[in-house]
Amino acid sequence: MFQHLRSQAFGLVISDSTLVIRQVSDSYVAVSGESRRERVVGLHAYDFFDQQNAPIPLLAARKAFEAAIETRRPHQSQHIDGQVIWSIRTVPIFSYDSLRYIQMEYQDITEEHQRKLELEERLDANETFRILVETVKDYAIFMLDPKGKVATWNAGAQFFKGYTRDEIVGKHFSNFYGQEDRDSGKPDRELLDALRDGRVEDEGWRYRKDGSRFWANVVITPIYRRDTLLGYSKVTRDLSERRQAEAGLIAAYEEASKLKSDFLANMSHEIRTPMHGMLSALTLLLDTTLDPEQLELGGVIQQSGELLLQVINDILDYSKLASGSFTVSNNIINFADVIQSVFKIHQKCCPPHLSLEAHLDPQLPKAAEGDSLRYRQILQNLISNATKFTEEGYVRLNATLQCEDEQFYTILIEVIDTGIGVPALGSSTLFTPFTQLDNSATKRHQGTGLGLSICKSLAELMGGNIGFHSNPDEQGSVFWFTAKLKKVHQAKHIEILNDNLDALNLPSTTPPFEEIKLAAINKRILLAEDNPINQKVMLKILAGLGFNSIDLAINGQEAVTMSTKDPPPYHVILMDINMPVIDGVAATIMIRDAGIRAPIIAMTANALKGHAESYISKGMTAYVPKPVDRNLLVKVLLSCLRQDQLS
Amino acid sequence: MSIPGAKDSIDGPTFEQILEMDDDEDEREFSKSLVYDFFTQAETTFVKMDTNLEKKDLKTLSELGHFLKGSSATLGLTKVKDSCEKIQHYGQKKDAEGSNDITEEEGLKLLRTTIEQAKEEFYDVEKVLKKFYHDES
Repeated sequence: MFQHLRSQAFGLVISDSTLVIRQVSDSYVAVSGESRRERVVGLHAYDFFDQQNAPIPLLAARKAFEAAIETRRPHQSQHIDGQVIWSIRTVPIFSYDSLRYIQMEYQDITEEHQRKLELEERLDANETFRILVETVKDYAIFMLDPKGKVATWNAGAQFFKGYTRDEIVGKHFSNFYGQEDRDSGKPDRELLDALRDGRVEDEGWRYRKDGSRFWANVVITPIYRRDTLLGYSKVTRDLSERRQAEAGLIAAYEEASKLKSDFLANMSHEIRTPMHGMLSALTLLLDTTLDPEQLELGGVIQQSGELLLQVINDILDYSKLASGSFTVSNNIINFADVIQSVFKIHQKCCPPHLSLEAHLDPQLPKAAEGDSLRYRQILQNLISNATKFTEEGYVRLNATLQCEDEQFYTILIEVIDTGIGVPALGSSTLFTPFTQLDNSATKRHQGTGLGLSICKSLAELMGGNIGFHSNPDEQGSVFWFTAKLKKVHQAKHIEILNDNLDALNLPSTTPPFEEIKLAAINKRILLAEDNPINQKVMLKILAGLGFNSIDLAINGQEAVTMSTKDPPPYHVILMDINMPVIDGVAATIMIRDAGIRAPIIAMTANALKGHAESYISKGMTAYVPKPVDRNLLVKVLLSCLRQDQLS
Repeated sequence: MSIPGAKDSIDGPTFEQILEMDDDEDEREFSKSLVYDFFTQAETTFVKMDTNLEKKDLKTLSELGHFLKGSSATLGLTKVKDSCEKIQHYGQKKDAEGSNDITEEEGLKLLRTTIEQAKEEFYDVEKVLKKFYHDES
């Protein structure tokens, strides 16, 4: 029997009733490294376990032996020794009711114990997850079998979708989709996508049992066990509330932003009206007899008032731009003209060591369709910034045709200066409203900090862009903007107009009277003018230029009647704009509609830039501001008559 | 040539252009007739303005302003011209620059003062011109 026991796989010690060891197993010998069984056999068990290299501690062995002896029954216990767990079993063996032997088995069960714990934990976890999933109400979580039929169902799913477990398990999940999605095969496609990508996420309408719908986020994930598809997990969230909240937030933000802009616009407008009154009254006051001190104080009020007005205008522009109620009008932008007039203003107040230069690309068109006033505003702003921050050197303007297609020109304007430049940090906030870069500069240079942000919005409204980079050649800045402008089809007229406007800006030289006197021979001219004094002056001027056949129309209707005869009676028509019955513009349209091609020269005291272009676009040939300058009139008449001869 | 006492109420070059049309520099028949025609035109227009101011007819006031603006501009009577332009704008219920809307009430108020101002400016320049044409009756 002992021979048999010696081959036990675990540690085995047999003692007699006096606890003297009679046998040990081979495995004990192998494990303990005890090479000679004889050293153990014959020892008292307690002495044996008291040894330093004893497999289990004495205390544990003693307890096990005592328990077996006391209870007279096999005893099983576990002993934890640091990281190692021992299972100890002691069996008392009786013969005729008296104890003969005690068999002790001990075994290292650390690994087994660990496995058991893990298993328990896993079982626990599975159970936990199951309970979690089943009770979660905010998510519908369920499984689909590989064919897409519902396999499990949780409380959330029941809550969202209205089906009980019995109603839905076994049905295809496409029941949750709308008719349109089902027709397009979306449910099956989603399963395929999930298989291909490992996961599919979708937002869309899903339907409840009662037919109502909700906005859902759905995640479908395929589940495999050892490469076999078990099915899909499907998690659905109801986003209706979030969607509603998002929409509410956006609406509230837009509303608030619009209210703010409207308020700004209204307030600025309300402030501007009395401002105008104040400034006008001040101008009158300054014209009265004031002593030097009063005059100086008055001057201070005027300057501050004008600055304040500029601020208010900026805010008004800005708030209109921000609220989206800003529109750009469509008249004609004459580039050379706009640039020239902006330069003219700055030349006057420009420091002596600063040169203003303009380089116009020869490819630059004469004119294009757009908002001339607003285009000028951008230009004015950039040039005025450049001159404000540049004390010496140059401010250079480059105007180039960046690109063109059949309908549009894209015009690039660069304003390059040798001024203080923009620090690298500041360049990102240049176009942000209400920011000014250098505080010390702010003290020297007044302004709202709105200018560039207004320019940005204006450029964007014109289909363009605005930007900044440092002057590549030296200290200073380059501000540029582009605008996409529609082409005009009256280039010929514009050229004439351009010449005329050039004439305005040139110091008058000896007028070519001889030429006009020659050109006037045998020319019939119609003067449409309602004011007797102006009639008298014009008739006198024209007669002085050698025209001896002049007819007079005292309103637009007369002008139309007189000029629309066959053959056309006049070589040139001079047309006042504001006239009774029908005005000059309407008369011109009627005359052109009647097929009369004779040059029509507009005359008006509304000498605003931009008006000229709008008259041209209505069919007029050229424009002369009132009071009529004789030299300019000669020049315009000559070019019209020449043009007439050419055509 | 400069007109004595005209200061900024007459635009030199414009008025000179009118004077250049005179065939005889001593007689100044053409320019004088023009200027006196203008006196009549202005007087008549001011009467019409007063009547229409009573009637609160802003549209007609604007047209009258424009009308007188045309002739005063031709003669270079800058101040009168500027006031007439304002009358034209106020009559259209716009501010002095013609760029922003004002109410009818504001318009009428401004018209009343501006018409008076235009009259005064006219009488001032009338005196200067009469002196120029040696007619101080």
